[in-house]
Amino acid sequence: MDPLFIPQPDTIPVSWGWFQFLLLLTFPLHLLAMNAMLGGLAIGIVQHVKGGELQRQLAHRIAIALPLVIAFVVNLGVAPLLFVQVLYGQFLYSSSILMGVFWILIVPILIIAYYSAYLYDFRFTQLGSAGPWVAILAFTLLVGIGFFFANNMLLMASPEQFGAYFSHKSGTLLSFGQPEFWPRFLHMLCGALAVGGLFVALLGRFRSAANPDLAHHAEHVGLQVFLVLTVGNILLGTWYFFSLPGEVRLLFMGHHFGATSAFCVALLLAAGTLFGAWKKRFWLTFYHAVGLVVVMSFMRSWVRSGYLKDFFSLDALRVVPQYSPMIFFFVTLLVGIVCLGWLLKKTSGALLLERGRE
Amino acid sequence: MNYPVWFLPETGGGFLIALISILHVFVSHFAVGGGLYLIYAEKKGLREKSQPILDFTKRHARFFLLITMVFGSISGVGIWFIIALVNPAATSLLIHNFVFGWAAEWVFFSVEIAAAFVYYYMFGRMDSKTHLQVGWLYFFAAWMSLALINGIIGVMLTPGSWAENMDFWAGFFNPGFFPSLVFRTFIAVMIAACYGYLSASFTTDSKTRVTMTRFSAKWALVSLGLSVISGFWYLSVLSDQSHGLVMGKSPTIVALLPWGGGGLLFFLLVMLGAGIIRPSLNHKPVALLAMVSALLIMGGFEWTREAARRPYVINEVMYSNSILKKDMADLNAKGYLHKALWVQNKQVSEDNLVAAGEELFLHQCYACHTVNGRNNDIVKATSSMSYGALVSYIKKIHEVRYFMPPFAGTEMEGRALAAYIAGGLHGKEIQEPPQGSSLAGPKNGATLFDENCASCHAVEDLTAALTGEDKTAVIGMLKTLNEISDAMEPFSGTEEEHEVLADFLKNTKQGGK
Ligand code: HEC
Ligand code: HEC
Repeated sequence: MDPLFIPQPDTIPVSWGWFQFLLLLTFPLHLLAMNAMLGGLAIGIVQHVKGGELQRQLAHRIAIALPLVIAFVVNLGVAPLLFVQVLYGQFLYSSSILMGVFWILIVPILIIAYYSAYLYDFRFTQLGSAGPWVAILAFTLLVGIGFFFANNMLLMASPEQFGAYFSHKSGTLLSFGQPEFWPRFLHMLCGALAVGGLFVALLGRFRSAANPDLAHHAEHVGLQVFLVLTVGNILLGTWYFFSLPGEVRLLFMGHHFGATSAFCVALLLAAGTLFGAWKKRFWLTFYHAVGLVVVMSFMRSWVRSGYLKDFFSLDALRVVPQYSPMIFFFVTLLVGIVCLGWLLKKTSGALLLERGRE
Repeated sequence: MNYPVWFLPETGGGFLIALISILHVFVSHFAVGGGLYLIYAEKKGLREKSQPILDFTKRHARFFLLITMVFGSISGVGIWFIIALVNPAATSLLIHNFVFGWAAEWVFFSVEIAAAFVYYYMFGRMDSKTHLQVGWLYFFAAWMSLALINGIIGVMLTPGSWAENMDFWAGFFNPGFFPSLVFRTFIAVMIAACYGYLSASFTTDSKTRVTMTRFSAKWALVSLGLSVISGFWYLSVLSDQSHGLVMGKSPTIVALLPWGGGGLLFFLLVMLGAGIIRPSLNHKPVALLAMVSALLIMGGFEWTREAARRPYVINEVMYSNSILKKDMADLNAKGYLHKALWVQNKQVSEDNLVAAGEELFLHQCYACHTVNGRNNDIVKATSSMSYGALVSYIKKIHEVRYFMPPFAGTEMEGRALAAYIAGGLHGKEIQEPPQGSSLAGPKNGATLFDENCASCHAVEDLTAALTGEDKTAVIGMLKTLNEISDAMEPFSGTEEEHEVLADFLKNTKQGGK
């Protein structure tokens, strides 16, 4: 057998369950925001290109929301990236270095995408027919980032590949050659675009008092997109499922109780979303879809531990206990949530007042 | 040794870290100080019932949002990416040890983002009292996130008792915590004032431009003065070693001095001349000059902070090349390559000397040296050194040059590294000194020079300095080299070797060789 290159992990201050909990708490939020960003932008582009008054209005609403959504995607991505480093740092740092050139490229790419999003928002009218091009640029760059992330997430779970370091010392290794890469990536991407449809419908609802036509149009388009893409994604998901290494797949077919139950719940939720979208019942679809994203992110974590089973399990992390910093964090989190609540209250109060005056 | 080394021979990881972090820090301090600046600018507008000043403030808020939200927060993520790529071991240690500090910082980051959006998008759309409160909430969150990061990265320079006990709170409230927090707070305000100055230069209404220029310049000068004072406080809590490096023992810091000093000078000139005395002189190019100067000041500080903890990345705990100080003895005894994970040559023999040496270079020297790059190029640094000189230099690298970590590994591994540099990079001959040369007979002058002086001097360069000295004076000088320059230790050879070396130096001077 080839030698394995897996670094020694550092110690952790509280038992790993806490980090797993925090990871699974924050990661779905990041995913939902990411879905809103990619799916929303894609729909915005299509609407913008199609033309027509309602379509243009919808594209504009999406353009206005986009920079805010990107900010939340990034912000909500920071937390899970932190916790995944704590749990799987020895894999993630190594795989990031193996693809170092691409990994660091994410930073400038994101800055350009983000500025394009602001340009698209602040200059929506002035840009005219150049507008969709700016949006397409942003979209392409953002999907590119997703591509690099997908590469790293698969690579970090494939430590048997790490020996390739010696022929990629400058950090040029990617993992899209592995058979499960494309179904995995496309499943994620298609899901993002589908859920983005629900985000667009939601955006429309915010305007239902001021502009009921727009709201109606947004909901129609959003649910339609969701329905079609979710059907497609069931096919992609099946492909992905069968591309998984046998041992990992079997986890969801009875070999692991938690994983199998989650899979069953996910199938039920998926059916629920399809039913909701078919019947054009927005909230029903929405809640099922949110639940589905959450359960999918749990399943994803079983996939990861399944890949790593032969090399590492979280129980192997050594704890050097110190609980007070965690308490400090939870107190901070509480204060933060109160602050966010206050901001929301003051803002919506001011907006209501404004609307009243209109 | 635990992690792979990302090898970009000509660029060097250190350069990438410096590039991203200096730009980031310049913006992230703006993000903190700018909050305060906006609040007071808005207050001024409200107090003076001046719509132009409020318009200015709103425009500035938009500029602020675009710079800090996009460039600031993404480059912040960028630092995190780049340090994990270049210094994975140190990053991992700090992430694991301080995970809840980072997590708390993330909470404030979230509040900061939300408050910034509300402040900008609701400008003039909510009652001004609430709007100012939002501004204060923003500033509070931004400052808290500065305070948290400051606590964690402060450990890298002034670890205090954390170096022994790895206790979260001991590390967080390290000896440098308060001085550097106060220092950074003032620097943040100074930079924010500089951005305000820039914004003012774009203002078309000339009355507002003059008012806001003077307003900004006052803020800039007061906070600059206060940051200089707190800078001295910060300096006073550094360890003797770091203090020495900052005060001139580090060539890296010395090289920077004219840049930082120049930045300071221009900044003062602009703010005084074209801010306080004649604010109407504030035009775009002038404001740009002020920005560049402020960037130089900030860059100078960050650069100094980095260099002041050399040869460590985490002072007293982990060397710049990711080797833990506590592992040193073990590595010297058992061999570095044997213990390291990401190497192909686990053993050194005469056959793989150069290949093993290359891996040693990658793991131990590349952290600070490029290969044929612009930044601290190893090829240039060793051009005058022979294989023998390198072998002996590597043995005492940390003793002669404190800012470099000691070489970790066996004698044979040291030879491998020397062979890679002399043979692999320069194509020089790799010739072992005759077996047991130091026992068999006295070394000749050229060898002594090679082993002790050649790393820093070419023979010819010393000629001028030694003209007219007699042999006793030269021997005396060899014993007191430390008096000539801090960089040198007195020559450590035997009495006999003193004579031989002195003869060699004198003969060379007379054109002997
Ligand atoms: C912590 C950073 C650091 C590390 C690690 C490091 N060096 Fe250096 N090195 C420097 C600096 C800084 C200089 C001085 C540059 C100058 O004078 O401008 C230097 C200079 C040198 C010189 C020129 C002679 C001298 O003393 O100025 C040699 C030779 C050298 N290094 C070899 C090595 C070797 C071999 C290694 C690996 C075992 C190594 N260095 C590791 C920072 C480092
Ligand atoms: C670690 C690097 C280093 C080593 C090794 C070193 N020197 Fe120096 N030396 C310096 C520096 C730095 C100066 C100051 C240069 C200057 O002021 O221009 C200096 C200055 C000198 C001067 C005064 C030169 C002048 O122009 O005034 C002499 C003489 C000298 N060294 C001799 C030696 C001898 C002999 C050895 C070997 C035993 C030696 N040095 C080893 C760094 C070194």
